[in-house]
Amino acid sequence: MSRIRQTAELALIALRDLGADSAGVQAQTGKKSEFTIEGGRFTLLRTTMDNSLSLQAIRDHRRGSVSGNSFEEEAVYSAARDCVASAEAAQPDPAWEMAADGRGTFRDGAPEADIVKLFDRTRELMDSVHQEYPRIILEQVIAAHANREGIYLNSHGVEYETLSGQYEVTLMFSGHEGDKSSSFNYSGLVTDSLDKPFLELGSVRQNLSDAERQIHTEPMQGKFEGTVIFTPDCLGSMLSELLDNYAADRVLLDGTSQWKDRLGEQVADRRVTLSMKPLDPRVVCGERYTAEGFLSEDYDVIRDGVLRQFMLSNYAANRTGKKRAPNGSGSMVMAPGTQMLSQMIAATKQGLLVSRYSGGAAGTNGEFSGVAKNSFLIKNGKIGPAVSETMISGNLAGMLSRVAGISRETVEDGMTSLPWLAVEGITISGK
Amino acid sequence: MLPDIVSSLRGSFAPGTHSELRAQRSLSRRLTLLGGNLVRNARTDSQGVSARVYRDGVYGFASAAEASPQSAREALAAASGNARFLADRVNPGKGPLPAIAEGSLPRQEDFSDIPQKQYLDFITPLDEYIKGKYPDLKSRTVVAYADSMEKQLLTSDGYAAHTLAPRSYVYVFLNSETASGMPVEIFKSFGGSGSFDTRFMDPSILYGEVDRLYEHLMRKREGVYANAGLATCILSGELSGILAHEAVGHTVEADLVLGGSVAGPMLNQTVASPLVSMTDFAHTAFGEEAPLPVFVDDEGVLAEDAELIRNGRLEGYMLSRETGRHFSMKPRGNARAFAFNDEPLIRMRNTAISPGPHKLEEMIASVEDGYYLLYTNNGQADTTGEFMFGVSMGYEIKNGELGKAIFDTTISGVAFQMLKTVDMVSDKLIWTSSGFCGKKQPMPVGCGGPDLRCQVMIGGK
Repeated sequence: MSRIRQTAELALIALRDLGADSAGVQAQTGKKSEFTIEGGRFTLLRTTMDNSLSLQAIRDHRRGSVSGNSFEEEAVYSAARDCVASAEAAQPDPAWEMAADGRGTFRDGAPEADIVKLFDRTRELMDSVHQEYPRIILEQVIAAHANREGIYLNSHGVEYETLSGQYEVTLMFSGHEGDKSSSFNYSGLVTDSLDKPFLELGSVRQNLSDAERQIHTEPMQGKFEGTVIFTPDCLGSMLSELLDNYAADRVLLDGTSQWKDRLGEQVADRRVTLSMKPLDPRVVCGERYTAEGFLSEDYDVIRDGVLRQFMLSNYAANRTGKKRAPNGSGSMVMAPGTQMLSQMIAATKQGLLVSRYSGGAAGTNGEFSGVAKNSFLIKNGKIGPAVSETMISGNLAGMLSRVAGISRETVEDGMTSLPWLAVEGITISGK
Repeated sequence: MLPDIVSSLRGSFAPGTHSELRAQRSLSRRLTLLGGNLVRNARTDSQGVSARVYRDGVYGFASAAEASPQSAREALAAASGNARFLADRVNPGKGPLPAIAEGSLPRQEDFSDIPQKQYLDFITPLDEYIKGKYPDLKSRTVVAYADSMEKQLLTSDGYAAHTLAPRSYVYVFLNSETASGMPVEIFKSFGGSGSFDTRFMDPSILYGEVDRLYEHLMRKREGVYANAGLATCILSGELSGILAHEAVGHTVEADLVLGGSVAGPMLNQTVASPLVSMTDFAHTAFGEEAPLPVFVDDEGVLAEDAELIRNGRLEGYMLSRETGRHFSMKPRGNARAFAFNDEPLIRMRNTAISPGPHKLEEMIASVEDGYYLLYTNNGQADTTGEFMFGVSMGYEIKNGELGKAIFDTTISGVAFQMLKTVDMVSDKLIWTSSGFCGKKQPMPVGCGGPDLRCQVMIGGK
């Protein structure tokens, strides 16, 4: 830590000496060890050592930021000069400010890597997939351990020290039989322990099993309005898009958010509680402080269907006159419902179970349309064949108001905790 | 510019083993004016060295953030250790890689890394022009962006090079709303390779482009939803370029072919209409410099064009040295790494569908009921060739004439089926190069194409 601290202190002094009214510095070092499997065989062991140095300066209400990866003294001075020059070139904006207080020392996850055991777990995953899911081709598997040690200092006396480490696994795969194949699908997970086989974590087993059942697909015919049950993996990406369009900095700064005047109002079904929880024990190495130097705390974006908090940075909060979000993470947690997934499927007359959505970026109006990938037809309460060339369209905000059910089961992948969500009134169209 | 770091280290390579050393510096600059307020003002500078060593069928890789000959030596030793760790455990037994041509490329010219103020001095008057001329806009965003990759490459058996690849863009986003209050937006990027000060000398060069963008946005305010289902569409060059990249290009990357892509069993077969030819260009296309020229890849392979489809027939894949050996094909310089601590992956460079014999006007006149799709905001495809592109600007075609604008929608299909429906190809090629391709690592790529008339699924109401 001593070199990291020396670098951060040097940069902070340099920024102050160059005339910054407020300054913030984050210095980190990291090491990553990573195995790659391509086409079902090990191809690479990669070890990377990197530094990062991020500088922010505010001078006469003008802000500049610079980042680099050299801890050399001359490079630190050069970065500080660049940072202050950037600030001087900017327009004044009193909304810029840095945290005034906060201290902490955090040790999270598994900072020390066990590379031999990581290799063994990865080989075990390959062998298990080969034996239990013989029709799966593992296009790519990345299994890594990443650790990071760092310090954040600002000119108001805020100081955080962090040491963290985690194992990260991503799989891309598809099912094959003769010349038929499923769409590719993927699973990702983060964990701080190698005690369990990777196959048993997150959505890995479920997605592999589904991919084998998605080799033979049937194109959808016609168009109808039905119920879509989003899997937790797919729900995560839909919710991210929704929040970007309704609750994040950009759309509140430019005034295009359709929720901008709806704080405290019902924006979702009463069963919906959606939170950002980097401190939740199910989240591995969650955010401990924000980019602006504030200590992170969990919060609810929506509680019992009511919009409670926008996901605003301190800058955007100052500009819009709204409250700053207590953290800047994407550690989504949605409260589970009371129904079993099987009950939700049984209650669906006509619709789809959607594992992956491939669609154009929704505009600020929230209208989305895209392809339902890795998806099954549901008819009269039963799962039917996998479908191909099937599109779904609807409105992101409307989704949360037309909830048909939330599952009791959830999936934890080390980054989020999400249930299955059934939504009515989605347009489903085929050829 | 980086001082010479790797050229003195040729003697450090272990005999008989393919090894690569790379020193790299990557810069990026981004300024964002949102409603006239500078909400982002950032510079990044990242540099370091990496080494990759091939041993009997597996690679070891290591990198360090310090760009010096000593750290390059240490990275080489660590990469050798990693290759040994893996080779000992998986016993691949594949032997050495086939030989490739050796040589050295002359160092490319440096470029000017301008201060942040110069970027701001360009986008501020542009933003003021938009604000003054179009006060009815709901919001506006203007972004200046520039990045560059400088690489010094030394390989045990291939080309050595010192390359620089700067590119610069201005992005303009305009927002309005319909009479019922529904937000509508439009976005376009301008720019290409080269430093910002040589690309963008006078903001007035973009005023006409902004005016055209505003006109489209006003038409979109009065827009309608597309009618969901299979439709006759004319894809603009921007969309056919992304089709070439996403829906075809990725399926013919040899690593994805090995992972089970649909192109595996399709080699030398008809995958498209005879009107369709497609190439991944290295540095020169149709007699001009390609948008993002690549002269050598990060395995030391001299870059050449990779012909992918000729008159509808699948002709080849994009390859690394190792996959070239697997398929008994010649690698043509597609193995590229993004950052100093990234390993080379098979990546596209400048992928384009070739122009054809038709005029856009006659193509539009030929459509009784369909759509002309102009701009896209993203695209994805998978190894089955099933693709999806977001369409952020398009028009109905009714009885051979452009009609109402359509709201944001999505098109989808299966590439090798959809390309067989192409029955008209325009004579005008459009290139885009402002984005990043995502495949474990990001990577700047160029993609291009002419207008295509085809049958495609469109989302809507």
